[in-house]
Amino acid sequence: MAAISSRAAQAATFRLVMWGFTLMTVFPFGLLLLTSLKSKQDLFRGAFVLPDRPHFENYVSAWVDGHFGVYFWNSVIVVIPVVGIGVLLGLLTGFAFAFLSFPFKKTLFVMLTLGMMVPGEAYIIPLYYEMRWLGLLNTYAALILPQIAMSVPFATLFMASAMQQLPRDILEAARIDGAPRGMILRKVILPLMGPAISSLGLFLFIWTWNEFLIPLVLVNDDALRTMPLGMLFFQGRYTVNIPVLTAGAVIVIFPIIIVYLIFQRKFIEGLTAGASK
Amino acid sequence: MGQLDFRAITKFFGHHEVIRPTDLSIADGEFTVFVGPSGCGKSTMLRMIAGLEEISSGELLIDGRVVNDTAPVDRGIAMVFQSYALYPHMTVFENIAFPLRVSKLPEAEIRRRVEEAAAILKLTERLSHKPAALSGGQRQRVAIGRAIVREPAVFLFDEPLSNLDAALRAEMRVELTRLHARLGATMVYVTHDQVEAMTMADRIVVLRGGVVEQTGSPLELFHRPANRFVAGFLGNPNMNFLPATATACGPGGVTVDLAAGGSAELPVDGTAQPGEALELGIRPDELKLGQGALRFAVLPDVVEQLGNQSVVHGSLENGQPICAVVTGGFGLKPGQPAEFGFDPGAAHLFREDGTALPRRIDLARLSAA
Repeated sequence: MAAISSRAAQAATFRLVMWGFTLMTVFPFGLLLLTSLKSKQDLFRGAFVLPDRPHFENYVSAWVDGHFGVYFWNSVIVVIPVVGIGVLLGLLTGFAFAFLSFPFKKTLFVMLTLGMMVPGEAYIIPLYYEMRWLGLLNTYAALILPQIAMSVPFATLFMASAMQQLPRDILEAARIDGAPRGMILRKVILPLMGPAISSLGLFLFIWTWNEFLIPLVLVNDDALRTMPLGMLFFQGRYTVNIPVLTAGAVIVIFPIIIVYLIFQRKFIEGLTAGASK
Repeated sequence: MGQLDFRAITKFFGHHEVIRPTDLSIADGEFTVFVGPSGCGKSTMLRMIAGLEEISSGELLIDGRVVNDTAPVDRGIAMVFQSYALYPHMTVFENIAFPLRVSKLPEAEIRRRVEEAAAILKLTERLSHKPAALSGGQRQRVAIGRAIVREPAVFLFDEPLSNLDAALRAEMRVELTRLHARLGATMVYVTHDQVEAMTMADRIVVLRGGVVEQTGSPLELFHRPANRFVAGFLGNPNMNFLPATATACGPGGVTVDLAAGGSAELPVDGTAQPGEALELGIRPDELKLGQGALRFAVLPDVVEQLGNQSVVHGSLENGQPICAVVTGGFGLKPGQPAEFGFDPGAAHLFREDGTALPRRIDLARLSAA
């Protein structure tokens, strides 16, 4: 009896702690959303006071006056090729590292790992000169190409690791059945990599969507700015109008939350893939 | 055709030699079983035949053609894995059809072959299902179907029944034997289960530590094992080994004194010096309750009743452990001594180095009986 009540107390404590963490995470977002729906007058009445009605005009103001419409589509134009090509390249290079033998495989693997460790600030200046030399400054290419390159090391390691978790027998069966490498990748591996592809796509989406340094340095035309950069300049212009500012912030984070909710299940599956049979 | 020849084949993993130089021939149409304890190299041998492991030295010939550097698909083999290795996202039909699609066969031919294999394996009703919806036995049949449609010269089975429960394993054993009779193809089968080896094989290859200990028919290996390891590995429960000393050697065989008491002349070939330390091997089912030329008292400590038989685990007077399987024996009780005996003609004799003094037994007559 004592053991049962001790276990119940433990479970209750655990739940309490988890609820605490959940509230700590959700609360700022809730407050942000609430503020974005208030008028300036509502805001002066207190941070936690509910508005008399939801002020959606804050969003219209951010979207139109704050150019978030432009920034949003710029982010979409950048994120789609980066995620698409990043995942595709990750599949190909991951397959190579997982299953093929080639010269300097270990050295290349170490180089990729190192590539992930180098911060963007370390190579942003050479990258700027490179882009200038190529005549790509102030173009979408300046936003897309470096981010694809930056995503390849992680995508490779992630995919190689996920592919190595696949049952070895299935791949050997495909070899004995006579399937060439490309066919094994397309017909056998790819259909089994759904969770891993979703997870990688989500990671790349979040990183690319939130990328700040590359657009800041390589683009100075407002028509090419992405959401986080737009937010910075928007902040300067609308510092006094907190509700419109928070509406802009919601527009920035909203797509990430939507994408995460869509892929949530597969994302968790991907993270735990291979943890148990 | 499906003749296999190993010529001085070895396999190293790093500096570790897992297969010692091996010469072996497997005849066309033969059902050969590689059997041995875990880590003996049986799966490595199979994987070398399949082309999934490189051969470190020596030559592997299939139908007289050296295939060391030949891709698995070009060797004329098909393999069934322990884990079934089905493609989980494909239906049963697509799983079986996969090798045919790789070969770019016409759709009508693919359909004909898949349906034929499904009929043989009783999978016709399951062709549209995914592997996850099948039982273990059905999954293994799909894996076999995928092998059959390729019409290979050699089938390779890597412990295909290990993941099945006992009843299904017995059923699948019979099905595989029927399949072999029907197809007449060469089959190489790896298992650590001696019952599978004994019941299915035309020929058994017993391996230990990367060395072929003995090859031969199941009856040959069971009744005339080449050494103590083979004698102990085949047969369930294991053979009893009793310390003995040679006292004489004559035309009738070798006379020994058992350490547990008693003396007998065993009809074996070969000679032993008087005073030479030997081991007498006797299978549990050759021990008879209250019968036999050589008798001794056994003190049972566990008696397992199987309904028609009793398995007795106990010890001799000198403390030597012993196991007997007797018909009936329902009156046997733990702690109550009983007299057991055996016929010297049923016993095996081994030297100290483990090699057997071959029993004088007419295997041809045994096979015909």
